[in-house]
Amino acid sequence: MRWGMVINLSRCVRCHACVAACRIEHFLPLYVNWPRLIAWEQETKTGVNVTTIPVRCNQCKKAPCLDVCPAGATTQRDDGIVVVDQKKCAGCRYCVVACPYQNRTFLSKDKNPGYFAGYAPTGFEKKGMELYPHQWGTTEKCNFCAERIDSGLSKGLKPGLDWEATPACVNTCQAKALIFGDLDDSESQVSRLIRENHGFQLRPEYDTDPAVYYIDPGIGGAISNLAPENTTTGYHIRHLSTVDEDARKIFSLENVEVS
Amino acid sequence: MQTSRQWMITHDWMVKGNRQTEWINGRGILLWLAFYAGGLGGGLYVVSLFFNSIWGMAIGWFIAAALKGAFHFIYLGKPARFWRLVMHPQTSWLSRGLLFVILFTAFGFIQIMVSWFWTDQTVTILILKIISGILAFSVATYTGFVLNNIKSVPFWDLSLLPVLFVACGILGGFGVTVAISLFSPEVNIVAAEMGVRALLIINAVLIAVYLLRAARKEAAGRQSVLLQIRGGLSPVFWGCVVALGVVIPAVITVYSLFSGEVTSAVLLSGVACEIVGGVMLRYCVLKSGIYNPLIPKKS
Repeated sequence: MRWGMVINLSRCVRCHACVAACRIEHFLPLYVNWPRLIAWEQETKTGVNVTTIPVRCNQCKKAPCLDVCPAGATTQRDDGIVVVDQKKCAGCRYCVVACPYQNRTFLSKDKNPGYFAGYAPTGFEKKGMELYPHQWGTTEKCNFCAERIDSGLSKGLKPGLDWEATPACVNTCQAKALIFGDLDDSESQVSRLIRENHGFQLRPEYDTDPAVYYIDPGIGGAISNLAPENTTTGYHIRHLSTVDEDARKIFSLENVEVS
Repeated sequence: MQTSRQWMITHDWMVKGNRQTEWINGRGILLWLAFYAGGLGGGLYVVSLFFNSIWGMAIGWFIAAALKGAFHFIYLGKPARFWRLVMHPQTSWLSRGLLFVILFTAFGFIQIMVSWFWTDQTVTILILKIISGILAFSVATYTGFVLNNIKSVPFWDLSLLPVLFVACGILGGFGVTVAISLFSPEVNIVAAEMGVRALLIINAVLIAVYLLRAARKEAAGRQSVLLQIRGGLSPVFWGCVVALGVVIPAVITVYSLFSGEVTSAVLLSGVACEIVGGVMLRYCVLKSGIYNPLIPKKS
């Protein structure tokens, strides 16, 4: 069993709900975001298109962060999720520097003044610290909501299908752009989507084998993937288009002018 | 165009190449100093072994063990867990490096003590010198491997990096040895100066070759080189690394070769310039570590 995620780029509408859901789920400190949306603008004849790629920890099979961690704080579970034991992390930040996807964050107290700088933590913050204590001076990253998965599995639920056992970002995505499931199960929805839509990973040339795949069926998909040889992400990116037209299509807003 | 910008801030920093900051900005400065202290201390210890300078060994040991260790310790997010850093030497260069530092601290200390107090123990001293010399060399070298192991930063992903770091460390070691020779007659100043001259040439060639190779290594590697040669880091690179680190010491040593003698003040100034150059070389290497963009931007 290896948990993985498929991100349908033609469905993503850049609403940032996944980012917000994760923030609420894990009571993330102010400057920390586990999932992020990379956005950039591209000049076209008719104006500028904004293209986005949602990113989060790729839970790489051959994770560079795992190899470089000198403290043994980063480990990989049997289900492929890479986790950080904050009680072991010494805060050397080698993993932050070594992650080729830059998906790790060092929790620095200097950067976090709290929600209201100069005031005592709010009730919400206090509850957060109690439920999900983030340890200053250590690193952390997305863990695919491992606690939800474990709790769900113990109740006989199926991650990716049952709400209670599925990562918060996947649950909250109203455009259904995020799909979660078992990559080792060839009949799972994620495996099927990857197979049928030529799912691809970011920077396959690093040979890290990420568990996060991207698909773009709206544009006909990338030529090939599943760790294609002699190809780089840039090759696939040519096919991506999370532009305004797609957003309008998904919400049937073809005739609505975006203002 | 206007609409897009109103509701979304673009994150070009992951689309273009962006610099690593954790190991150079803020408290990262401590790591930069620790990296240099390892090179200089280890290099000085090895050079002092060659000249059999007990003062040089003691200073080298202090820089590589005490100073470097202190910088690392203060830098850690959880300093009390520093002992955990040796837990993963199978794959982590940082772990291996800390082991080198710990072993060097122990063997170096014993070797200096034995050499100081029990001068008749020649075989024991020789064995201790060999062991501590290897460890000092490892301390000077491992930081290059720590960076070289990070494949997503093309500027660091060159096998020449550990060589450059160790050459720079040994050059610094020769420089400090020249300074020590002014106060300690046991060091042959002529030989030490010859070492500085040779290492200055080797270092200059290594820097040039390194930059040339890095510039040919993906767009981000070229960007790193341009940042140093023509970009925001150029004053540091040309002013400190090249002028202070290579040109001024070279002029002084070449002048001393032909004139036969220069004043101690000039020699010491040359050594200080060389050390500044070495420190700033590490700064440039860390500061210009640019990641390959996650999403290569279409042209």
